Amino acid sequence: MPVVNRIAEFAPEMTEWRRDLHAHPELGFQETRTSDVVAAKLAEWGIEVHRGLAGTGVVGVLISGSGGRAIGLRADMDALPILERTGKPYASTNDGVMHACGHDGHTTMLLGAAKYLAETRNFDGTVRFIFQPAEEGIGGAKRMVEEGLFARFPCDRVYGMHNMPGIPVGEFAVVEGPVMAAGDTFEIRVQGRGSHAAMPDQGIDPVIVGSNIVIALQTIPSRNIKAQDALVVSVTEFHAGETFNVIPDNVVLRGTCRTLDPAIHASLPDRFRRIVDGVCATYGATAEIDYRQVFPVTMNAAEPTRVAAEAAGAVAAKVVTDRRPLMGSEDFAFMLNQVPGCYVFAGNGEGASVHHPEYDFNDDLLAHGASYWSTLVERELKRG
Amino acid sequence: MPIVNRIAEFADEMTEWRRDLHAHPELGFKEHRTSDAVAAKLAEWGIEVHRGIAGTGLVGVLKAGSGSATIGLRADMDALPILERGTGPRDHRSTNDGVMHACGHDGHTTMLLGAAKYLAETRNFDGTVHFIFQPAEEGLGGGDKMVQEGMFDRFRCDTVWGMHNIPGIPVGHFAVAPGPMMAARDNFIITINGRGSHGAMPHQGIDPVVVGAHLVMALQTITSRNIEAQDALVISVTQFHAGHAFNVVPDAIELRGTCRVFDPAIQASLPGRIQRIVDGVCATFGATGTLEYLKGYPATINDPAQAAVAAEVAEALAGVERVDRAPKPVMGAEDFAYMLNVRPGAYIWTGNGDTAGVHHPDYDFNDEALPHGASFWSKLVEDCLPRR
Repeated sequence: MPVVNRIAEFAPEMTEWRRDLHAHPELGFQETRTSDVVAAKLAEWGIEVHRGLAGTGVVGVLISGSGGRAIGLRADMDALPILERTGKPYASTNDGVMHACGHDGHTTMLLGAAKYLAETRNFDGTVRFIFQPAEEGIGGAKRMVEEGLFARFPCDRVYGMHNMPGIPVGEFAVVEGPVMAAGDTFEIRVQGRGSHAAMPDQGIDPVIVGSNIVIALQTIPSRNIKAQDALVVSVTEFHAGETFNVIPDNVVLRGTCRTLDPAIHASLPDRFRRIVDGVCATYGATAEIDYRQVFPVTMNAAEPTRVAAEAAGAVAAKVVTDRRPLMGSEDFAFMLNQVPGCYVFAGNGEGASVHHPEYDFNDDLLAHGASYWSTLVERELKRG
Repeated sequence: MPIVNRIAEFADEMTEWRRDLHAHPELGFKEHRTSDAVAAKLAEWGIEVHRGIAGTGLVGVLKAGSGSATIGLRADMDALPILERGTGPRDHRSTNDGVMHACGHDGHTTMLLGAAKYLAETRNFDGTVHFIFQPAEEGLGGGDKMVQEGMFDRFRCDTVWGMHNIPGIPVGHFAVAPGPMMAARDNFIITINGRGSHGAMPHQGIDPVVVGAHLVMALQTITSRNIEAQDALVISVTQFHAGHAFNVVPDAIELRGTCRVFDPAIQASLPGRIQRIVDGVCATFGATGTLEYLKGYPATINDPAQAAVAAEVAEALAGVERVDRAPKPVMGAEDFAYMLNVRPGAYIWTGNGDTAGVHHPDYDFNDEALPHGASFWSKLVEDCLPRR
């Protein structure tokens, strides 16, 4: 039983929804049309709609039977600032904005499940359909949580799903523990003392200090954490100087850290401080560090992962449970930090990877994803 | 006798000229008003004027007696792209916003004009004086261009002389060393091609920022490991351009910087040495690098015999105690080097007193230095081209 029959019946309708969303992408916190479309459909199917959470966020509530359990299913709605190059007939009509991460598909799969579950109500309890804004780096999930998502809409468990190019359609990856990395950004402003390039003895060269910091930061992964733990420190920007013959006053380094271990994550600001201060002291410079812990680790809990794997197994040709975590970061981590749950990957088949201008969500996946959601609800909220 | 009496008499007039030039600064090769002002004054004093050498450059020719000896005296005319700030009242502030005489070329031009006026009046020498007013000293090679356009073929100079003010040396003092005075200056541009990746997945790429950081450090070992300790060499990476997003490791980065050195042999070795470091560090990380090495001004090196002449003239004028015959050379560069490369001569420093450093927005040429400089030029001519 790879796909729920009723869902297979309206798969062409889901494809229409998905392509409509794809043609009208909206950036984070600006998903007004998308939010209207989602709210209208949920209301049409008799689902109670709550709007305005984190601006454009939507929560649909569907109750069946008298059970007290509630689960949350989450999809993201925002697009990316990328100029689309797919050449598809339903390509973006909003130049420079593109659904290049498949959130159009995520939203559609959750709508498909909502339609099916509203029709069939073959469960006992409460389903919260959570449509979040601004997953792409600007913290839509965090804001929903801060604005009381789980206080207003309590959930015993919360689930998320993301498409994955390179995995065949119909295959799922459901892995316990960390699946996406914590993601931080940092900015280090090294203050030296500018001088004529011919007279470095009269100044403190911040380019030398910055270069030493770039190299010294690499020893955090190689010297400060256990070899089997995962940590990436990348200095991605180094801004120094404007002319050949002037040593600048200061330089700015920027970059990102990714780790799968919450304890390592917590230790990074202090380790940065000590390395930067130490290197600066070596050369007589000073530095300001703006270290931002942006995303926590996306951590799948044991029992929800087991249930998710079963639900996926019921609809999927294959379920992988030992896939390596990804060092990218995911906003859903903020929800998993509040409520135990599981984040799964669904194969998007061959094609460009996410965030690529030629990427497109695979419509063949829609029925699989909606079937997974529906089966998961029916297993989590079993009728007595 | 620190100042020639006749020059002291018109010092106030020189101050007016200097402040007029200061109020109307012009960038290199655009010194049209300055060039006109200089030409008009020289002509007024009966000096033969030749214009259009290196664009705005000009040479004034003054002959006295029948001697065949010749001498070239050079001043620079250009200003810098700096917004003048200045502390206290400054009525002669730049009227050309963002352009400023922040290196004292207004004073250099005025001192040479003062000497021209005096020498045209007194003609107490035997031979030919060439007053060389050059454009574009600040990095654009106006001196080089004058030489290339055949200035020394048209205006034979047995010797050629230059002068620069130095903040921090008292007014009325001079300094001149035999050998190096100012450094050679070369620039370089290094491009490192790695392979971009997501900031979270550096193993899928080759991080050029890490390569660049190692390169910055490795380049410092040329100074510390490859040349003799008593030789002077500065290598400064002054620009590091990498990336424009927190989460993307860039494909490529660019480093830019400058080398300063006195010894021509060391200078000649630098492109090869830097290339080997670029290649080696890049190979270490699997990146590739390209080096664009831009040869700039040569070192300004005084002929020891001419340096001694300049020191003697300065000592006769200012007193032995006001002349430093062994100042430490400066690692800055000077395009008078192109003239010294083809003619014997010397480059001498004159005190500007306790002012802001050159190229600083608060800097101003010290008008009290004007008669000292003009007196030096005049005495130098009278000593080098003595009447029989």
